[in-house]
Amino acid sequence: MNNKASKILYYVLMTLLAALFMFPLVWMISSSLKPEAAIYNDLDSIKALLPSGHISEWFFSYKEIFGRFDIVRYMTNSVLYAGSVTIGSIAVNSLAGFAFAKFDFKGKAILFGLMIALLVIPGETIMISKFVIAQKLGILNSQLAVILPLMASPLFIYMFQNFFKAIPEDVQESAKLDGANQFQIYWKVMLPMSKPAIATVGTLSFIMSWNDYIWPLMVLTDSTKFPLQVAITNINNTQPVYTNQVMAILTISTIPLILIYVFFQKYLVQGLSSSGTGVK
Amino acid sequence: MKKKLWYKNNDTLTGYMFLTPALLILGLFLFIPTMMTLYYSLTDYYMLTPDLTAFIGLDNFKALLQDKLFLKSIGNIFKFVLFIMPIQVGTALFLALLVNNKARGTIFYKIAFFSPVVMSLVVVSVLWLYLLNPADGLINVIFEAIGFNPQPLLTSPKQAMYVIIMISAWQGAGYQMLIFLAGLQNIPSEVYEASKIDGATKWEQFRHITLPMLKPTSLMILTTTLIDAFKLIIQPMVMTQGGPLNSTLTPVYYIYRTGFTDRQVGFASAVTVIYGGLIIIFAIAQRKLIGSADYE
Repeated sequence: MNNKASKILYYVLMTLLAALFMFPLVWMISSSLKPEAAIYNDLDSIKALLPSGHISEWFFSYKEIFGRFDIVRYMTNSVLYAGSVTIGSIAVNSLAGFAFAKFDFKGKAILFGLMIALLVIPGETIMISKFVIAQKLGILNSQLAVILPLMASPLFIYMFQNFFKAIPEDVQESAKLDGANQFQIYWKVMLPMSKPAIATVGTLSFIMSWNDYIWPLMVLTDSTKFPLQVAITNINNTQPVYTNQVMAILTISTIPLILIYVFFQKYLVQGLSSSGTGVK
Repeated sequence: MKKKLWYKNNDTLTGYMFLTPALLILGLFLFIPTMMTLYYSLTDYYMLTPDLTAFIGLDNFKALLQDKLFLKSIGNIFKFVLFIMPIQVGTALFLALLVNNKARGTIFYKIAFFSPVVMSLVVVSVLWLYLLNPADGLINVIFEAIGFNPQPLLTSPKQAMYVIIMISAWQGAGYQMLIFLAGLQNIPSEVYEASKIDGATKWEQFRHITLPMLKPTSLMILTTTLIDAFKLIIQPMVMTQGGPLNSTLTPVYYIYRTGFTDRQVGFASAVTVIYGGLIIIFAIAQRKLIGSADYE
């Protein structure tokens, strides 16, 4: 009896908590699927969390907002930025991690120490000098300015270095005996063996770039180059503002992340747990 | 001997070839900006007239110590950090303990607790702006339905920061729940079984097994939460523009405003030096403190 009561209590508590955590996402999606007036009429009933009763009304807000703004362009920009950052970050950081793990060269200890020291610099605080650099390089208002700074990270280099270090020397030596040069060893032996590290760095890089807001807001002036995150606040400040259309753009920008989290969740936890036991 | 030397040199060359892209990018966007910030903080660099820049010693720092907005932003961020640390990390641990069992439906609850994480900070901020609208937002409708008075929420200098704290904790807890969960599942079940035989209560198990064994996980979560909390900018920028009455102005937002909006690079760099230094000190101090704390 006692056991049963505590079980019921557990489920009641869990369901309340679940509702608390989930209702904003549910409200966002269902509000994008109904007419503007219905959003506010439904607020005082459970209908607030349900889409319109008529399926024909569901995609009205999406049609409207695609007509008012160049949403396809913003989506393409975001996919392009996040895609380039993901590929670039995997390439740049794994190359550096390989050098630190498997080579013995002059200045390595100093460079590695410096890189670890740079880990403590809170990136967002130096954004003004970063902006001045971009200005001096003449890359302001270009796609390059958005993606380039995200392509190298001391943390990801460190993660790759750790991973490569765990691969036994024999593997490298036997490839060398077969006549492979260092780049071939990296490309044909090391990378295929490090899929978990690639997945972790790739996923984290994609999410970082997709969610990036302040930096693109600073370097981009041309709205046709805006990623979705910047476009969202822009749309939310462009009169007339319709709640259902804003919820539609919020939903659009969230869907890719839902997919990423569904498919790559385990790499995120692995990556974060492993980075925590290291120097960070 | 000669051969070995050749090999070594070759290693140096190839080593640097592999490092070049990373060194270039980290140099340009991390190392040089850090050095430049240190230098600019001693100058009156104005973004539109870089040629007229003069060295002014510690004047920026002197001005900073009397700058009411800067001091206000420091006060605001300490309030944020002080509340978000226990609320977010505590919630995450609590949720992880709740879903760490084989009861039916746990997967559904896990998804629910994790759902805020899939939204970016911009999406979360804009979404809550609508939910928190004092006139016709869902939150005040719910408040009235359960018998509370409608609240001004983000439009009140007294409430705005607490609202941002709650939203940030709500957004971040699910992610840390997963990390705590991974830590919990790494604890061998034999340890619990052995303690059960010894007659340990649930609370004693939690206090003497779960907590100590979660120490590495907790340390990592506490450190990242602290540093992330200090960097707060998007939520106040999107939801309140630092208001009302500067009650949600944060130091990083202040750096953005002085350095980017007002183009006072020199002054903003001084803010960065002081505040960045503060974050680094806190991060190191926290690591030392928790690292040496005795859990037994």
